Amino acid sequence: MSLTSEMTALAPDVIEETSFLRDALRAFRKNRMAMVGLFFVVTLILAAVFAPWISPHDPYRVALDEQLLPASSTYWLGTDNFGRDILTRILYGARVSLVVGTVPSLIALMIGTVMGILSGYLGGRTDFVVMRLADMMISFPSLLLAMVVMYTLGANLLNIFIALALVGWASVARVVRSQTLALKGKEFIEAARANGASRATIMFRHIFPNVVPTLIVLFSLSIPDAIMWESSLSFLGVGVQPPGSSWGLLVAKGKEYLFQAPLVAIAPGVAILLTVLAFNFIGDGLRDALDPSMKD
Amino acid sequence: MTNKIRLLLATAVTSLILISPALADNMLRISYPEDPKTADGQMTSDSYTLPLNVFDRLIESETTSPGQSALVSGLAEKWDVSGDGKTYTFHLRQGVKFHDGAELTADDVVYTFDRMLNPKTKALGTDILTFIEGAQERLDGKAESVSGLKAVDKYTVEIKLGQPYAAFLALLASPQASIYNRAFTEKAGDQFGLTPETTNGTGPFILREYTLNESQMLEANENYFRGRPKLDRLQVRVVADSETLRLLFETDEIDVFDLDYAPTQTPYFYGNDKWKDLVRSGPRVGVYYYNINQAKKPFDDVRVRKAFQMAIDRQTILDKNFYGKGKLEDGVLPRGVACYAPAAPIAYDPAKAKALLAEAGYPDGVDINLQQVSSWSAKWSDMNQIIQAQVAAAGFKANIVTTDEAAFLAARKVGETDAYTQVWSADFNDPDNFFYTFFSESGSKVRAYNNNDPEVFSGVEKARSLTNPEERCKLYQELAARIVDKDAAWVPLFSLDHSYVVQPRVKNFVVPWNGWSDMSYYKVEVE
Amino acid sequence: MLMFAIRRIVISIPVLIGITAILFVMLNVVPGDPIALLMKEHASPEVIERVRAQMHLDDPLITRYFRFLWDAVQGDLGISIKLNRSVTSLIMNAFPNTMMLAASAACVSWIIGIPAGILSAVRRDSFLDHFFMGFSLLGVSMPIFWSALLFQYVFAMQLRWLPVSGFYGWQYLILPALVLGWSSAGVIARLTRSSLLEVMRHDYIRTARAKGLREVGVISRHALKNALIPVVTIMAIQVATLLSGAVITEAIFGIPGVGRISVSAIQSRDMPLLQGSVLFATALVILGNLIADMLYSVLDPRIRSQMTKAAP
Repeated sequence: MSLTSEMTALAPDVIEETSFLRDALRAFRKNRMAMVGLFFVVTLILAAVFAPWISPHDPYRVALDEQLLPASSTYWLGTDNFGRDILTRILYGARVSLVVGTVPSLIALMIGTVMGILSGYLGGRTDFVVMRLADMMISFPSLLLAMVVMYTLGANLLNIFIALALVGWASVARVVRSQTLALKGKEFIEAARANGASRATIMFRHIFPNVVPTLIVLFSLSIPDAIMWESSLSFLGVGVQPPGSSWGLLVAKGKEYLFQAPLVAIAPGVAILLTVLAFNFIGDGLRDALDPSMKD
Repeated sequence: MTNKIRLLLATAVTSLILISPALADNMLRISYPEDPKTADGQMTSDSYTLPLNVFDRLIESETTSPGQSALVSGLAEKWDVSGDGKTYTFHLRQGVKFHDGAELTADDVVYTFDRMLNPKTKALGTDILTFIEGAQERLDGKAESVSGLKAVDKYTVEIKLGQPYAAFLALLASPQASIYNRAFTEKAGDQFGLTPETTNGTGPFILREYTLNESQMLEANENYFRGRPKLDRLQVRVVADSETLRLLFETDEIDVFDLDYAPTQTPYFYGNDKWKDLVRSGPRVGVYYYNINQAKKPFDDVRVRKAFQMAIDRQTILDKNFYGKGKLEDGVLPRGVACYAPAAPIAYDPAKAKALLAEAGYPDGVDINLQQVSSWSAKWSDMNQIIQAQVAAAGFKANIVTTDEAAFLAARKVGETDAYTQVWSADFNDPDNFFYTFFSESGSKVRAYNNNDPEVFSGVEKARSLTNPEERCKLYQELAARIVDKDAAWVPLFSLDHSYVVQPRVKNFVVPWNGWSDMSYYKVEVE
Repeated sequence: MLMFAIRRIVISIPVLIGITAILFVMLNVVPGDPIALLMKEHASPEVIERVRAQMHLDDPLITRYFRFLWDAVQGDLGISIKLNRSVTSLIMNAFPNTMMLAASAACVSWIIGIPAGILSAVRRDSFLDHFFMGFSLLGVSMPIFWSALLFQYVFAMQLRWLPVSGFYGWQYLILPALVLGWSSAGVIARLTRSSLLEVMRHDYIRTARAKGLREVGVISRHALKNALIPVVTIMAIQVATLLSGAVITEAIFGIPGVGRISVSAIQSRDMPLLQGSVLFATALVILGNLIADMLYSVLDPRIRSQMTKAAP
């Protein structure tokens, strides 16, 4: 059950976009947890991008005489079974998590938006087919579907994108469709139609902008889901492959050393937890800001 | 913590103690990480504990000392081999009873082997019988029976081979060659070996309970022909998780802790005062190797292959990654296989390797690919990462290429994979199991060596039919020298020890000769 | 109502058939040879070829699909390549374990989630609100494989209060149920909170308050009844999701359930078993949604008429 299932139609009625966005921004800024989340995520992004300059250690070097060292001033979180600095591995793992968090979510969002608007606006047979397809995708338990895709395509990063996009588009399409249905009857759409605007124009000039706030919220909420799924796949061995660095993979490897060096498994898990939490804060903040009705 | 929670937890702990399986007087409790799936040795290629304990073979491979074995009589009391090495006559023990009370006869033996070769069985272990005359016709569905199998009388079986094969007796001692009862097995059909009701052997233990993915319970066979086993019961639990396994062992819920399933616990048990004297260790008859494919540049050049052999610091891998529990191997055969003889050591010499690379035309180093298979265990990706770092010193710029297993096997079948690392464990105690697999004309290709040395090809074929053991061993040693030293076609790494830790109550626990985790528990005792 | 139910069921059928098709195509276009994969290092190419032919793996895809569909309708999901047993019976044997886990996890999530949601709504923006919401958000944000590991480390390895893994009695269920239940408590808590807040704005609550009823009475007697309608409906979906989503929990805690079957089928590349277990889990989700819709329409008369119309 994802958080997105709680989403209701939350399109701002009409058009005064600038003031709406200004209000939203102000509301978002006032949300303390969301700002904490944002701060964390920005820091994480910077740390991941500049990892080679921040960390004095090579994440791939093999130094068998420095295996499983405890935390020290040189290795802040200790070393893993190859003598690699765990903190550095986590920083490099953040690259994977952030990319996997955003790219497939974006793909899913694009597919879902197009499908949702087409389905909602055109109705009829298109609607029926798209919605049945969405029903099918939603009925698959997400993790199992992703696992099946990885089984079929083979375990690597690109296929994780495909798997997660496949898992994610359908719920986006459903939300967008219901919003499109709500917008379809609105006066400004009627007006545009009366003025002879083509269907494509109506769908993507008039309806799409009104869906954007929802999409922003959906996007922010789907990032933590994607991060979780990727780490779960990698944990199960069907995601990122060694020597690559992914948080799920780090936990899986660290599990073998839980008795001797629990930090190897626990530290990357904390990274996942904090990142997912931060994104959830941001997502909640955005939802509250963009849809005042949700904030009771 | 409130009192209520404390109470709840206390109850939980107490009931835990109460519910944990009661210690029967003479029960040995062991574990495997996976369900064995079947007791039918013909239908499995990896779990042999049930076949080894519930059934017997005509001949048994008995551990004489750690890493050493001898073929001893099993259901066959004695046997003769004809002068041309083609006809084997087995004289069965009389009065051996199956668990259901039926007496073992020559017809059962003929039936068992015919069942394996019957295409309807879809058996996986057919390899061991393909040397029998008419086996291929039966497998191909062109014959209704196997011409080389004959029950001469009630207690005599005659097996004719297509051509002499020196390792045939060793093959018959492998768990796949377990003997079944015709009437019972025919009746059980495709359910044979899947449940206690559909399993029937002559072996020291009887399968009593089988809960898939959970446990199996075996009970002593009171009428076992060698005498009743010392154990009353043998409980096999499926414990997938190594941390769990260690906790179960330390809380005395498991009697035998197989370090194979929790290698990272090795230093703990070897170093712990309570456990270190209870470690039982023996060599594993399996060689870790690095495959190199001569069809792929730069490995077409023998100097590059030699350099690669020298660029791997095997001792460090063995010490650091496998806690020093093993021995470097320099030949094709690991210690423990018949005809094993120590070979000239391959030195770790990155400087010389670098010079050899330069001589071969790669003074600035050379790119190579190391193949990694995504579904293989972490052990292999660990090895690849270590070796990648090590060979860099000699100038090999190794890229680790990850593919899935399907792609790997498809490429290997046609001899096109990149260098990969694996282990080959003896299926049966004969050099042919190693040499033929890797260096026969067909093996060299389907295992992606492409070591097209006609002299090696003919030598491997010739050794198969030699009946004089000394002559045969000498030939294998010459072949090994040629393959490893001259052609540098084989990169042997090491063989490992197999260590177990046992509870103090466990007596007479001997690591099996081949170092398998699957073994017969017939002679093990508990106090 | 009956019409609605029938309509809903009829709509589920093409979805289910579509799912079998998607699944079948995905799993059967895998390059390489399932048989070769199974037999690993020690199988010879000839044996692989022969077994392959015997299992009809060389028939055209479409033939195999219809054979699969026809068998599936009759409850036969094929034979597991690796375990050599009927997939249907393997799943049916494992299902009670999964059901026990899902049920106890659901209970955990309700015990944590509903009171947390109520308290947060009643004491909005108080410390308690933040604490409970934070606690349930923490559960949602922890990867299950990691919280499971953490629980195992603390409660089983260090404190030795509970067994690490396996499934030999009820105490083996405690840790997995806590881990899995906590992870979905957040959703319940949030839903309870927002739904209760929503209801409390309504007139009849104000009336009740005006009549001088105490706050506790207002909430327990009037507000909660209505506020829990969406929560109850989500429960049906939740249980279905837990049933199918216990994959990782089962794998880590060694519970022989349907999820563990799927994972081991992936690891051993046992295609028929994977196909069967995923199909089964998916059917569960569809059933859960169906029940949720029905519950919703029964519990909330306002929805009933709408739903009959709105279903596209």
